Amino acid sequence: MAFSPRPLEEKMTYFWNLHWTSGISKVRGVTLILNQNRTERQFAVARFDDLVLKISQDPAMLVWLDNWLNRAGRPNENYGRELMELFTLGIGRYTESDVREVARALTGWTVQNYRQSDDYNGATFVDNPAVHDFGPKTILGQTGSWDGADAIRIILGHGDSEGSVSGRFLGAKLWTFFAYEDPPRYVVDELRDVYVSSDHSIREVVRRILVHPEFYEAHTRKTWVRSPAEYGVAAIRMIEATSDFDVAARQLGTMGQILFNPEDAKGWDWGASWMNTGTLFARSTMVNTICTNRGSSGSRFDPGRLLAGRDASTAEKVVDILADRFNVADVSPRVRAAWVEYMNANDDGSRGNWTNTAANVDRKVRGLVHLMLTGPAFHLA
Amino acid sequence: MPISRRDFLVRTSGFVTVSAMVPRWAVKGAKFFEESVAADFASRTLVVLELAGGNDDLNTVVPYTDALYLQLRSRIGVAANAILPLDARLGFNPVMTGLKSLWDAGRLAVVENVGYPNSSLSHFAARDVWHTADPQLAVRHGWLGRWADRYVAGNGNPLSCTAISQSLPRTLLADNVGVPSFVNLASYQYATDGQYPADRNNQIRAFLVQNGGEYEVANTVDTLSQVGQDGIRSSDILQTVGTGYVPGGTYPAGTLGAGLLLIAQIINANVGARILYITFGGFDNHATQNTDQPPLLTTVSNGIKALFDDLDAHGKSHDVLLMTWSEFGRRPQDNGSNGTDHGTAGAHFVVGDAVRPGIYGNPPDLAHLDSNGNRAIQNDFRSYYGTILQDWLGADAAAILGSGYPNLGFVDRAYA
Repeated sequence: MAFSPRPLEEKMTYFWNLHWTSGISKVRGVTLILNQNRTERQFAVARFDDLVLKISQDPAMLVWLDNWLNRAGRPNENYGRELMELFTLGIGRYTESDVREVARALTGWTVQNYRQSDDYNGATFVDNPAVHDFGPKTILGQTGSWDGADAIRIILGHGDSEGSVSGRFLGAKLWTFFAYEDPPRYVVDELRDVYVSSDHSIREVVRRILVHPEFYEAHTRKTWVRSPAEYGVAAIRMIEATSDFDVAARQLGTMGQILFNPEDAKGWDWGASWMNTGTLFARSTMVNTICTNRGSSGSRFDPGRLLAGRDASTAEKVVDILADRFNVADVSPRVRAAWVEYMNANDDGSRGNWTNTAANVDRKVRGLVHLMLTGPAFHLA
Repeated sequence: MPISRRDFLVRTSGFVTVSAMVPRWAVKGAKFFEESVAADFASRTLVVLELAGGNDDLNTVVPYTDALYLQLRSRIGVAANAILPLDARLGFNPVMTGLKSLWDAGRLAVVENVGYPNSSLSHFAARDVWHTADPQLAVRHGWLGRWADRYVAGNGNPLSCTAISQSLPRTLLADNVGVPSFVNLASYQYATDGQYPADRNNQIRAFLVQNGGEYEVANTVDTLSQVGQDGIRSSDILQTVGTGYVPGGTYPAGTLGAGLLLIAQIINANVGARILYITFGGFDNHATQNTDQPPLLTTVSNGIKALFDDLDAHGKSHDVLLMTWSEFGRRPQDNGSNGTDHGTAGAHFVVGDAVRPGIYGNPPDLAHLDSNGNRAIQNDFRSYYGTILQDWLGADAAAILGSGYPNLGFVDRAYA
């Protein structure tokens, strides 16, 4: 994500990761999780139907939400419910009867060779007719002897008085990801229309978002609370740290996001819920570890390089150079003054005078970078 | 933006004082603080234990003499001869010896068939309903967050509501009360450059200013600023609570045991924590439930026992009440994968010396299931909450939850 030549592809892969990633703690097979990530990348902007089909037959997902155990006669509702609630329609857009009937349609989609002997990595998808329920089902008002592919087609084709339900659901969620929460109705309507007219193309919905005039309004900026992974990537990129992700990866858990291991099927909540006192301190620990690494291995950066070729002769100038680099120059004058005061402060808190010496750069620029990267403005993008 | 401010002292890291602003949320809440509760209630602590994922209470508090139970649970039912009986109809899962000893000591209430009408079978909707005490999901704040806004906002104590949790539980989400959230105290501090320890205070001073809430960017900045302020203030106090602590109970290994020990340490430190919240997950047992659930119940049961042993040993249990909740119970009929799907009502526990021991409610009625195969609700969860608000915290339950939810009587009102 930090160094890809195709950043939008990575961003969309990350969107799907946040949307429905399966947890390694239950799935266990690392290869299965890696393959799911590859599927998300390969189908990141494909037809939504193709992606949903692939994910519904993905071994990691089949294990994660128990569909591999879903058999005719005694269905397991776990995947059928989340498929509609979390992945495609949203809560309240289906009935409990639909949950049961979709679960029946999905019976038989299972895995083979899921076993401890190869660390659960050998599982492959299989459609097993012996445990499929061939009886008639009624899903969202349509009755037939539906199987899993039929169920997905019916779910994604479902419309109510406001048109395509999955189109509105996906459009609103993508808008939230790229712009801000609770998009205006006219935006959602437009994205739904693009979705329908393009035969459910994710690419076309994303394209519409990125060229939408509303997307370029000032109020669209700095509304997204960076997730821990995005925060780590942004910090590392902006200080031009070495590309070693040891520190960021180690701290992701305490920052609240162990990649590929969400606590439940919902993945992670977005927005301000990333931030609490504990996760804030974890961010501080991550940045401080990198900022104060003066050794020759692990993530580290060169504070002098951030000022190279610039006039860094006063505390004010250093503050402005770095605030601009980190895109936090819009803080209040009082905060800017506090940064300047920090740069000029002696150990006992009394006022000294910043001078651009190697010793001061080592002592104060590292500290200022850490301050700016842990302030409220930098948690937003 | 206009904000009232005055200087106040914030201790940082125990060796220096710096001045900062009174955050606006502290000022805003102050007017409520005046009408606060009587002093005897103010010394009380409520521990909230969330069993995340929807605990299958039918295999926790088992209707072991109801023939329908083993018919519905032909694959995963608990055999009657192994049950730890509470009475002639209900008994604990055999692994729950810790809670059974609290029951035998008269310190435990079991509240049966708790839920709400037209239950959502979604984890996430059900969880939000329980967090907010609003089945319509129209209220943003948590039920204890609303309590906090009314009774502790403006008291200047950053630890009034504290969560041993990786994330801030919505139950505690308030307008004017921050919630320190952590799972490990050693890393719960603002890190600074170890090479220049004397520069740390300069950094923290600037950090507090940059969390002063004076940005023009977006409201989210206010939220983030409050988090920064609460972090520094709570970390300073919390760093010392474990020093020299000798536990008086045997806590189970793992995150719940470690978290309950932290709770005991915080209670012992007399830092004014009124609500201590902890989450323990893994209860979404759609498959192989008899492999996965008993170890969780063991940990919960032994963990609660250890907490009360520890509090007893330190003479602290008098002012502590513990309650459990989970977003739903599970379906009486087991599924084809030796697990259970999402249900409605559940049984919950209240532990403490103020408890009037017993079982509140009837055993689950397995003969009358709804069209989804789920149990009927008997006790509205707002009655469960309201009894605790009214009789343990001395709060106006109706003002927080709405009226019409009868008090269930499991807390002794005369307790003092």
